[in-house]
Amino acid sequence: MKNILQAGILAVCAVAFLVAGLGLSFGTPAYTDMDDYMLLHGQEETGSNNIVSGVVFDYRGFDTLGEATVLFTVVLGAGLVFRRLGKKEDEYEYE
Amino acid sequence: MIELAIHILLVTGLVISACMVWYMDDLISAAIAFGAFSFLLSLEFLVLQAPDVAIAEAGIGAGLTTAIFVIAIRGTDKKGGDASD
Amino acid sequence: MSMSNLVRSGANILMPFILVFGFYIVVHGHLSPGGGFQGGAVIATAIVLLMVAYSCDEVCTSLSKNILKNSETLGLLLFIGTALFALTAGLAFFGNWILDTGPLFATPVAFGINPGNLNTGGIVPVLNIAVGIEVLGAMGLLILAMLGGMKGDGDAE
Repeated sequence: MKNILQAGILAVCAVAFLVAGLGLSFGTPAYTDMDDYMLLHGQEETGSNNIVSGVVFDYRGFDTLGEATVLFTVVLGAGLVFRRLGKKEDEYEYE
Repeated sequence: MIELAIHILLVTGLVISACMVWYMDDLISAAIAFGAFSFLLSLEFLVLQAPDVAIAEAGIGAGLTTAIFVIAIRGTDKKGGDASD
Repeated sequence: MSMSNLVRSGANILMPFILVFGFYIVVHGHLSPGGGFQGGAVIATAIVLLMVAYSCDEVCTSLSKNILKNSETLGLLLFIGTALFALTAGLAFFGNWILDTGPLFATPVAFGINPGNLNTGGIVPVLNIAVGIEVLGAMGLLILAMLGGMKGDGDAE
Protein backbone atom coordinates (compact mmCIF):
# COMPACT_ATOMS: atom_id res chain seq x y z
CA MET A 1 0.00 0.00 0.00
CA LYS A 2 2.75 2.36 0.95
CA ASN A 3 4.72 1.57 -2.19
CA ILE A 4 1.66 2.18 -4.35
CA LEU A 5 1.14 5.54 -2.64
CA GLN A 6 4.78 6.47 -3.17
CA ALA A 7 4.62 5.45 -6.82
CA GLY A 8 1.46 7.51 -7.27
CA ILE A 9 3.06 10.60 -5.74
CA LEU A 10 6.12 10.10 -7.94
CA ALA A 11 3.99 9.74 -11.06
CA VAL A 12 2.06 12.93 -10.26
CA CYS A 13 5.33 14.81 -9.67
CA ALA A 14 6.81 13.44 -12.89
CA VAL A 15 3.77 14.48 -14.93
CA ALA A 16 3.79 17.97 -13.38
CA PHE A 17 7.52 18.30 -14.07
CA LEU A 18 7.10 17.16 -17.67
CA VAL A 19 4.23 19.59 -18.24
CA ALA A 20 6.20 22.45 -16.68
CA GLY A 21 9.33 21.55 -18.63
CA LEU A 22 7.73 21.06 -22.02
CA GLY A 23 4.54 23.10 -21.98
CA LEU A 24 5.73 26.49 -20.76
CA SER A 25 7.60 28.86 -23.05
CA PHE A 26 11.09 30.10 -22.26
CA GLY A 27 12.81 33.34 -23.09
CA THR A 28 10.00 35.87 -22.71
CA PRO A 29 10.50 37.79 -19.44
CA ALA A 30 8.05 40.52 -18.47
CA TYR A 31 10.48 43.36 -17.71
CA THR A 32 13.54 43.70 -19.97
CA ASP A 33 14.84 47.25 -19.48
CA MET A 34 18.02 46.32 -17.61
CA ASP A 35 18.67 43.36 -19.93
CA ASP A 36 18.38 45.54 -23.01
CA TYR A 37 20.72 48.18 -21.56
CA MET A 38 23.35 45.60 -20.64
CA LEU A 39 23.12 43.83 -23.99
CA LEU A 40 23.46 47.10 -25.91
CA HIS A 41 26.18 48.86 -23.89
CA GLY A 42 27.94 46.04 -22.06
CA GLN A 43 30.63 45.39 -24.63
CA GLU A 44 31.87 48.98 -24.85
CA GLU A 45 31.53 49.72 -21.12
CA THR A 46 33.19 46.61 -19.70
CA GLY A 47 35.47 45.73 -22.62
CA SER A 48 34.74 42.01 -22.54
CA ASN A 49 33.15 40.05 -25.33
CA ASN A 50 31.42 37.61 -22.99
CA ILE A 51 28.51 39.64 -21.67
CA VAL A 52 27.91 37.26 -18.77
CA SER A 53 31.46 37.76 -17.55
CA GLY A 54 31.10 41.51 -18.01
CA VAL A 55 27.95 41.57 -15.88
CA VAL A 56 29.35 39.28 -13.19
CA PHE A 57 32.72 40.98 -12.79
CA ASP A 58 32.02 44.59 -13.70
CA TYR A 59 28.38 45.60 -13.29
CA ARG A 60 27.76 43.24 -10.38
CA GLY A 61 31.22 43.15 -8.83
CA PHE A 62 29.91 43.42 -5.30
CA ASP A 63 27.94 40.20 -5.73
CA THR A 64 31.06 38.38 -6.81
CA LEU A 65 32.95 39.80 -3.83
CA GLY A 66 30.20 38.50 -1.55
CA GLU A 67 30.36 35.11 -3.25
CA ALA A 68 34.11 34.92 -2.68
CA THR A 69 33.56 35.86 0.96
CA VAL A 70 30.91 33.15 1.32
CA LEU A 71 33.32 30.58 -0.12
CA PHE A 72 36.05 31.71 2.28
CA THR A 73 33.64 31.38 5.21
CA VAL A 74 32.60 27.89 4.04
CA VAL A 75 36.22 26.76 4.00
CA LEU A 76 36.81 28.31 7.43
CA GLY A 77 33.78 26.50 8.88
CA ALA A 78 34.69 23.17 7.29
CA GLY A 79 38.24 23.45 8.60
CA LEU A 80 36.87 24.23 12.04
CA VAL A 81 34.47 21.25 12.03
CA PHE A 82 36.84 18.68 10.53
CA ARG A 83 39.96 19.54 12.50
CA ARG A 84 41.81 16.76 14.26
CA LEU A 85 41.13 16.82 17.95
CA GLY A 86 43.43 14.02 19.07
CA LYS A 87 46.82 15.49 18.34
CA LYS A 88 48.06 18.53 20.16
CA GLU A 89 50.46 19.73 17.51
CA ASP A 90 47.84 19.64 14.77
CA GLU A 91 45.11 21.37 16.70
CA TYR A 92 45.28 24.64 14.79
CA GLU A 93 46.25 23.07 11.51
CA TYR A 94 43.28 24.20 9.45
CA GLU A 95 42.77 27.66 10.86
CA MET B 1 11.56 18.66 -33.89
CA ILE B 2 14.88 17.09 -33.00
CA GLU B 3 15.20 19.63 -30.19
CA LEU B 4 11.87 18.57 -28.72
CA ALA B 5 12.95 14.93 -28.89
CA ILE B 6 16.19 15.76 -27.02
CA HIS B 7 14.16 17.69 -24.43
CA ILE B 8 11.79 14.79 -23.84
CA LEU B 9 14.70 12.33 -23.61
CA LEU B 10 16.64 14.48 -21.14
CA VAL B 11 13.67 15.30 -18.90
CA THR B 12 12.60 11.66 -18.83
CA GLY B 13 16.15 10.68 -17.91
CA LEU B 14 16.15 13.31 -15.16
CA VAL B 15 12.95 11.93 -13.65
CA ILE B 16 14.20 8.33 -13.90
CA SER B 17 17.59 9.13 -12.32
CA ALA B 18 15.90 11.13 -9.53
CA CYS B 19 13.66 8.14 -8.78
CA MET B 20 16.76 5.92 -8.79
CA VAL B 21 18.38 8.16 -6.17
CA TRP B 22 15.29 7.68 -4.01
CA TYR B 23 14.89 3.92 -4.47
CA MET B 24 18.54 2.83 -4.19
CA ASP B 25 19.41 0.92 -1.02
CA ASP B 26 23.17 1.06 -1.47
CA LEU B 27 24.46 4.52 -0.64
CA ILE B 28 27.33 4.45 -3.14
CA SER B 29 24.84 3.56 -5.88
CA ALA B 30 22.63 6.45 -4.81
CA ALA B 31 25.59 8.84 -4.95
CA ILE B 32 26.50 7.65 -8.46
CA ALA B 33 22.86 8.02 -9.52
CA PHE B 34 22.95 11.57 -8.18
CA GLY B 35 26.05 12.17 -10.31
CA ALA B 36 24.17 10.91 -13.36
CA PHE B 37 21.29 13.23 -12.44
CA SER B 38 23.67 16.19 -12.30
CA PHE B 39 25.22 15.25 -15.64
CA LEU B 40 21.81 15.03 -17.31
CA LEU B 41 20.86 18.36 -15.72
CA SER B 42 23.99 19.98 -17.15
CA LEU B 43 23.10 18.60 -20.60
CA GLU B 44 19.62 20.08 -20.19
CA PHE B 45 21.15 23.47 -19.34
CA LEU B 46 23.31 23.19 -22.45
CA VAL B 47 20.26 22.47 -24.59
CA LEU B 48 18.51 25.49 -23.03
CA GLN B 49 21.48 27.67 -24.21
CA ALA B 50 23.05 28.39 -20.82
CA PRO B 51 26.61 27.06 -21.20
CA ASP B 52 27.88 28.95 -18.13
CA VAL B 53 25.44 27.19 -15.84
CA ALA B 54 26.12 23.91 -17.65
CA ILE B 55 29.86 24.12 -16.93
CA ALA B 56 29.21 25.07 -13.29
CA GLU B 57 26.74 22.22 -12.87
CA ALA B 58 29.06 19.67 -14.51
CA GLY B 59 32.01 20.80 -12.38
CA ILE B 60 30.36 21.19 -9.01
CA GLY B 61 27.30 18.94 -9.22
CA ALA B 62 28.71 15.99 -11.10
CA GLY B 63 32.32 16.26 -9.93
CA LEU B 64 32.75 17.75 -6.49
CA THR B 65 29.43 16.77 -4.89
CA THR B 66 29.76 13.14 -5.94
CA ALA B 67 33.31 13.05 -4.58
CA ILE B 68 32.18 14.63 -1.29
CA PHE B 69 29.36 12.06 -1.01
CA VAL B 70 31.73 9.17 -1.74
CA ILE B 71 34.22 10.43 0.85
CA ALA B 72 31.47 10.90 3.45
CA ILE B 73 30.03 7.43 2.78
CA ARG B 74 33.48 5.88 3.08
CA GLY B 75 34.00 7.65 6.38
CA THR B 76 30.78 6.31 7.93
CA ASP B 77 28.90 3.01 8.06
CA LYS B 78 27.79 1.51 4.79
CA LYS B 79 24.24 0.61 5.77
CA GLY B 80 21.41 2.41 4.06
CA GLY B 81 17.69 2.50 4.68
CA ASP B 82 15.84 3.74 7.74
CA ALA B 83 17.48 4.45 11.05
CA SER B 84 15.11 2.08 12.90
CA ASP B 85 16.28 -1.21 11.39
CA MET C 1 41.36 3.94 1.38
CA SER C 2 43.13 2.85 -1.75
CA MET C 3 41.37 2.38 -5.05
CA SER C 4 42.16 -0.31 -7.58
CA ASN C 5 44.83 -0.07 -10.24
CA LEU C 6 42.27 0.69 -12.94
CA VAL C 7 41.01 3.80 -11.16
CA ARG C 8 44.57 5.04 -10.62
CA SER C 9 45.48 4.59 -14.29
CA GLY C 10 42.30 6.34 -15.37
CA ALA C 11 42.99 9.23 -13.01
CA ASN C 12 46.56 9.50 -14.30
CA ILE C 13 45.37 9.70 -17.89
CA LEU C 14 42.44 12.04 -17.29
CA MET C 15 44.02 14.55 -14.93
CA PRO C 16 46.19 16.60 -17.38
CA PHE C 17 43.28 17.07 -19.77
CA ILE C 18 40.96 18.25 -16.98
CA LEU C 19 43.66 20.66 -15.76
CA VAL C 20 44.22 22.12 -19.23
CA PHE C 21 40.46 22.48 -19.78
CA GLY C 22 40.08 24.27 -16.44
CA PHE C 23 42.90 26.71 -17.14
CA TYR C 24 41.43 27.34 -20.60
CA ILE C 25 38.06 28.20 -19.07
CA VAL C 26 39.68 30.54 -16.52
CA VAL C 27 41.92 32.41 -18.97
CA HIS C 28 39.31 32.70 -21.73
CA GLY C 29 36.63 33.79 -19.27
CA HIS C 30 36.03 37.14 -20.97
CA LEU C 31 35.72 35.64 -24.46
CA SER C 32 33.93 32.31 -24.21
CA PRO C 33 31.37 30.76 -21.85
CA GLY C 34 32.79 30.06 -18.45
CA GLY C 35 34.70 32.22 -16.04
CA GLY C 36 36.66 32.10 -12.84
CA PHE C 37 34.17 30.17 -10.75
CA GLN C 38 33.49 27.46 -13.31
CA GLY C 39 37.15 27.06 -14.26
CA GLY C 40 38.23 26.90 -10.63
CA ALA C 41 35.62 24.23 -9.99
CA VAL C 42 36.91 22.19 -12.94
CA ILE C 43 40.52 22.44 -11.71
CA ALA C 44 39.36 21.46 -8.22
CA THR C 45 37.63 18.46 -9.80
CA ALA C 46 41.03 17.31 -11.12
CA ILE C 47 42.54 17.62 -7.65
CA VAL C 48 39.59 15.77 -6.13
CA LEU C 49 39.96 13.00 -8.71
CA LEU C 50 43.57 12.60 -7.62
CA MET C 51 42.55 12.54 -3.96
CA VAL C 52 39.83 9.93 -4.51
CA ALA C 53 42.06 7.67 -6.61
CA TYR C 54 45.07 7.82 -4.29
CA SER C 55 45.16 7.88 -0.53
CA CYS C 56 45.43 11.09 1.44
CA ASP C 57 49.03 10.52 2.51
CA GLU C 58 50.27 10.04 -1.05
CA VAL C 59 48.57 13.23 -2.20
CA CYS C 60 49.62 15.31 0.78
CA THR C 61 53.31 14.66 0.12
CA SER C 62 53.19 16.36 -3.27
CA LEU C 63 50.29 18.78 -2.72
CA SER C 64 50.69 20.41 0.62
CA LYS C 65 47.91 22.15 2.48
CA ASN C 66 49.88 25.38 2.61
CA ILE C 67 49.85 25.68 -1.18
CA LEU C 68 46.06 25.60 -1.27
CA LYS C 69 45.77 27.94 1.71
CA ASN C 70 48.16 30.43 0.14
CA SER C 71 46.41 30.22 -3.23
CA GLU C 72 43.05 31.03 -1.65
CA THR C 73 44.50 33.97 0.27
CA LEU C 74 46.34 35.19 -2.82
CA GLY C 75 43.17 35.00 -4.91
CA LEU C 76 41.12 37.01 -2.41
CA LEU C 77 43.87 39.61 -1.99
CA LEU C 78 44.27 39.97 -5.76
CA PHE C 79 40.50 40.34 -6.15
CA ILE C 80 40.09 43.03 -3.50
CA GLY C 81 43.35 44.76 -4.47
CA THR C 82 42.33 45.01 -8.11
CA ALA C 83 38.96 46.40 -7.11
CA LEU C 84 40.49 48.86 -4.63
CA PHE C 85 43.17 50.14 -7.00
CA ALA C 86 40.47 51.70 -9.14
CA LEU C 87 40.04 54.30 -6.39
CA THR C 88 43.55 55.63 -7.01
CA ALA C 89 42.75 56.06 -10.71
CA GLY C 90 39.79 58.26 -9.88
CA LEU C 91 37.16 55.66 -10.67
CA ALA C 92 34.56 53.98 -8.48
CA PHE C 93 35.08 50.70 -6.63
CA PHE C 94 35.31 47.91 -9.26
CA GLY C 95 35.91 50.53 -11.93
CA ASN C 96 37.63 49.25 -15.05
CA TRP C 97 40.98 51.04 -14.62
CA ILE C 98 43.08 48.84 -16.93
CA LEU C 99 40.92 49.50 -19.96
CA ASP C 100 42.77 51.51 -22.67
CA THR C 101 45.90 51.96 -20.51
CA GLY C 102 49.11 49.95 -20.45
CA PRO C 103 50.20 46.90 -22.42
CA LEU C 104 48.39 44.09 -20.61
CA PHE C 105 44.68 43.34 -21.17
CA ALA C 106 44.15 46.87 -22.47
CA THR C 107 43.64 46.61 -26.21
CA PRO C 108 40.40 48.37 -27.15
CA VAL C 109 37.80 45.75 -27.87
CA ALA C 110 36.29 45.51 -31.33
CA PHE C 111 32.57 46.22 -31.08
CA GLY C 112 29.98 43.97 -32.54
CA ILE C 113 30.40 40.30 -33.32
CA ASN C 114 34.12 39.49 -33.47
CA PRO C 115 36.25 36.38 -32.94
CA GLY C 116 37.85 37.91 -29.86
CA ASN C 117 41.31 38.95 -28.74
CA LEU C 118 42.79 37.53 -25.57
CA ASN C 119 44.52 40.82 -24.73
CA THR C 120 41.31 42.79 -24.13
CA GLY C 121 38.96 43.16 -21.26
CA GLY C 122 40.52 45.45 -18.66
CA ILE C 123 40.07 44.13 -15.15
CA VAL C 124 37.74 41.32 -16.19
CA PRO C 125 40.50 38.75 -17.00
CA VAL C 126 42.40 39.75 -13.86
CA LEU C 127 39.34 39.20 -11.69
CA ASN C 128 38.66 35.94 -13.54
CA ILE C 129 42.12 34.65 -12.71
CA ALA C 130 41.80 35.84 -9.10
CA VAL C 131 38.46 34.10 -8.60
CA GLY C 132 39.81 30.98 -10.32
CA ILE C 133 42.77 30.77 -7.95
CA GLU C 134 40.49 31.39 -4.98
CA VAL C 135 37.89 28.77 -5.92
CA LEU C 136 40.63 26.23 -6.67
CA GLY C 137 42.16 26.73 -3.23
CA ALA C 138 38.80 26.73 -1.46
CA MET C 139 37.46 23.54 -3.01
CA GLY C 140 40.74 21.67 -2.62
CA LEU C 141 41.00 22.76 1.00
CA LEU C 142 37.40 21.65 1.64
CA ILE C 143 38.04 18.14 0.34
CA LEU C 144 41.42 17.96 2.09
CA ALA C 145 39.82 18.99 5.39
CA MET C 146 37.16 16.29 5.00
CA LEU C 147 39.74 13.61 4.17
CA GLY C 148 41.99 14.68 7.05
CA GLY C 149 39.09 14.72 9.51
CA MET C 150 38.02 11.26 8.37
CA LYS C 151 41.49 9.84 8.71
CA GLY C 152 41.77 11.13 12.25
CA ASP C 153 39.02 8.79 13.47
CA GLY C 154 41.24 5.81 14.13
CA ASP C 155 42.03 5.23 10.41
CA ALA C 156 39.31 2.60 9.83
CA GLU C 157 40.08 2.01 6.17
